[in-house]
Amino acid sequence: MGKKLFRYSEENKDKFLESDNITFNDGSVVTPEEIWDYLTVEGPVKYPGTYEINLSQGNRDSRDETLSTSLKTHYLSLTFSARMEKAKESGKTIAFIQGGQAVDPYTAADTIALRPFLVGQWYHGREHGNDIYKSVLRRKQSKESAFHDMSFEACQTGGYEHVQVGDLPIDVIAPYTVLRCSDVSYGVEAHRHGPNKDVKLINVDYPMRHQADKPWAIEYFAQNLRKLVKTLDEVRGKTTTEYDLLRAIKLHNEGRRLGNELADLWWSTDIPPTNSDDRNSLVALANLDMHGDVQASLSVLKEAKNIIAERVKNGVKGHAVTDNPKRLFILGSCVGINESRSEDAGAIVVGKDDQWSHCTSIVEEEGDPYYNLAKATLEYPYEQSIEKRAQWTIEQIKKSRADGVIFIHNWGCNTQAAISRPIVDFIKRETGIPTYIHERDLHGLRDEQEQNRVNAFIEML
Amino acid sequence: MSIKTLEIVRKRLEERPEELREARKKGQKVVGWTGYNVPEEIIHALGFIPVRIAVGGDDRLVEVGARYASSKTCVFIREIVGAFAENEDPYIQQTDFLAFDATCLQNYRAAEVIEYFFKKDVVVLAVPRNFAEDDAKTYFVHEANEFTRLLEERAGIALDPARLAESVALYNDIRKTLKSIYTFQAAKDNVISWEEVYDLIQAGELLDKHEYLSLLHQTLAELKERHHNPVIESDDGDSRIFISGSLIPRGDRKLISIINSVGGRIVGDDLWSGILPHLDLDIKEISPAGVALGYLNRTPHAALPYLNLESDRRLKKLHELLSQSKAQGVIYHTLRYCDPFTFKAKETKNVLAKSGIPLLEIHTEYAGSDYEAMKTRVEAFVEMIRIKSESVQEEAA
Ligand code: SF4
Ligand code: SF4
Repeated sequence: MGKKLFRYSEENKDKFLESDNITFNDGSVVTPEEIWDYLTVEGPVKYPGTYEINLSQGNRDSRDETLSTSLKTHYLSLTFSARMEKAKESGKTIAFIQGGQAVDPYTAADTIALRPFLVGQWYHGREHGNDIYKSVLRRKQSKESAFHDMSFEACQTGGYEHVQVGDLPIDVIAPYTVLRCSDVSYGVEAHRHGPNKDVKLINVDYPMRHQADKPWAIEYFAQNLRKLVKTLDEVRGKTTTEYDLLRAIKLHNEGRRLGNELADLWWSTDIPPTNSDDRNSLVALANLDMHGDVQASLSVLKEAKNIIAERVKNGVKGHAVTDNPKRLFILGSCVGINESRSEDAGAIVVGKDDQWSHCTSIVEEEGDPYYNLAKATLEYPYEQSIEKRAQWTIEQIKKSRADGVIFIHNWGCNTQAAISRPIVDFIKRETGIPTYIHERDLHGLRDEQEQNRVNAFIEML
Repeated sequence: MSIKTLEIVRKRLEERPEELREARKKGQKVVGWTGYNVPEEIIHALGFIPVRIAVGGDDRLVEVGARYASSKTCVFIREIVGAFAENEDPYIQQTDFLAFDATCLQNYRAAEVIEYFFKKDVVVLAVPRNFAEDDAKTYFVHEANEFTRLLEERAGIALDPARLAESVALYNDIRKTLKSIYTFQAAKDNVISWEEVYDLIQAGELLDKHEYLSLLHQTLAELKERHHNPVIESDDGDSRIFISGSLIPRGDRKLISIINSVGGRIVGDDLWSGILPHLDLDIKEISPAGVALGYLNRTPHAALPYLNLESDRRLKKLHELLSQSKAQGVIYHTLRYCDPFTFKAKETKNVLAKSGIPLLEIHTEYAGSDYEAMKTRVEAFVEMIRIKSESVQEEAA
């Protein structure tokens, strides 16, 4: 039996062509016409898997084709690998970072900062013509090699499989070793052996436990940020000034503010203006790192905010959203539930803590930019003590008017798993909202069993 | 072999919980501590009774702990959390408050979970990942001062430098004596086994420190009397094993007993529940900062990443201890979900292979179900070492 494939319908083309261009870091521009061509001609050939309608991968048989920014984020994802190759050819520095951190210092040092998911996206995007099955197999194979070299209990392998085994030209492994992740610093260390062991390594040391109130901790992290920038400068052979950092902070503050405004707009109405996937892909733009090009992310984010404002004003309901869906807030690390299938079961995802907490920390623009950035970073709600983090989460739950909370974590994610119960316990105690903790299977695909449990929770709500 | 003082140590351990109860009745406070970089001398100098929270080997408690932390937390921490949940451990019962560090993130999470669910007062010492760098040391000094301030608050007194100097001298003497005792276990015709020394080291985590030191001196005197010239070299047919990797706390003797049961002789370790934390601790200045830096500058714990393989002090120390103990092979013990050690297993194996030292990784938990499988692997490894060493001896003859 042939695979069912999704195609953008010509019906929406004219409207889409009226939407905004995407402007990139290097000043180049891509027009809606070019985007449309790519999505309808080149994209399906290169990446047939992403056009496959396969419920276990979360693809619907239809998408919100009237949401122009959704097409643009799809375009940016599909062109990601080619754009990274091009950036490398033109001499750009590329760094491996951790999820859940801001990228202001990397932007200041004219460096593309890629978190684990994006490093994987680059690597896997190099191979064309794969269907879902082949893509998944390829991902599993490369992960296996990292497990073999490190630990089968690893969740985060620090991009080892791509940089060491896979020969991806990352210049520097330079994540914040934020508390969220148990594995990242061991992953960084693992790069000291392997075929590309000369890749530059730096741990941007994020201290823990009530640190945001301690001047010496802020100073220490600021010093780490200075070292990070110096390392990036060594790689690229140029100097980053404090003014460059301030400019980067201002740029990223703009992204963060827009992201917050967009989220507030989305939450302001009872009628969800987009479905969960679209919400997620738009809010994720706030950190400006999502597509390896801060300006491109910013331009799509600006357009998205205006569209959401318009939809909210006109009471437009997002594509495939059921009436009065149960509103879910998702907690945990680096993983989420299958959003479209959960929507089919009568729910909608209204927010997540992961990839969001750091977007809520706006950096002060007056004074020493390193100190300011360090302070804002140490204030990430996700990295605080159980009570503080849970309090912040409750605020988000209230703002988003969630009906239920799911804490989901990856197999092998020790540090998030370890506090899933206390966090959820606190939230339940304070709000009375039903909660559910789920562990994603070992290196798992989103399987039926997981969905059954999520569906049962939705049903219970 | 029977060193008489060891009998006394065992007896004193049996009496210790009751003694702590009595001491608390008289107003003394017991601090339960865990973490590689917790500067125990500061706790001691403030008049607290330090006891180390390190229990293992009980699969049932691991299950209990998983209900509060998670099934993906390392086995050791799960058992600790389980032990707090049940509150039946005689030492845990006696703790007035806790002092944890964040060397290993899982240890830090344990502090949070215990604080949250069991309403324990926990003082946490943060530990920098970039521990070898100057600014990290400056940061750690601030943290050590803060840690001391929080302890002073609980003690109701300020830290007296003279008392700190006394505690440092006491602990230095303990470390020095332990090192001397340790040499005897690895010697030819040894009169004390590694296992006995290991138990003796762990007894020090619980006993009164002054008494412990005098017991150590007594042990050393006995050893010197029984063994005049301890020379570290192989006995005929020895299979000299070195244990590395995740800690093996009191209560967990599975791997050790397996090694013994298949005829392996353990002659050294770099476990943080063994000799390692007692080595190379050089306190240059009598102050919280001086003590804390002494701790931080020791051989680093595997949870602290070291980005240069060539100069990795942990591996250097391992080589040094292997050569001192004349060990012929390493059994690298990794506990389930202990990332700091499992991530390094293969790398350590490759590094040691360059020096011709074989390494066997044993990945395990506290359940007994893998006992036979472990035994088969350890037996084959011990046998392999024996054959190798016999053939070396034959060649030399
Ligand atoms: S799921 Fe957990 S261990 Fe894995 S990358 Fe995320 S934070 Fe790290
Ligand atoms: S070092 Fe290993 S055994 Fe020790 S607390 Fe950390 S994860 Fe657990």
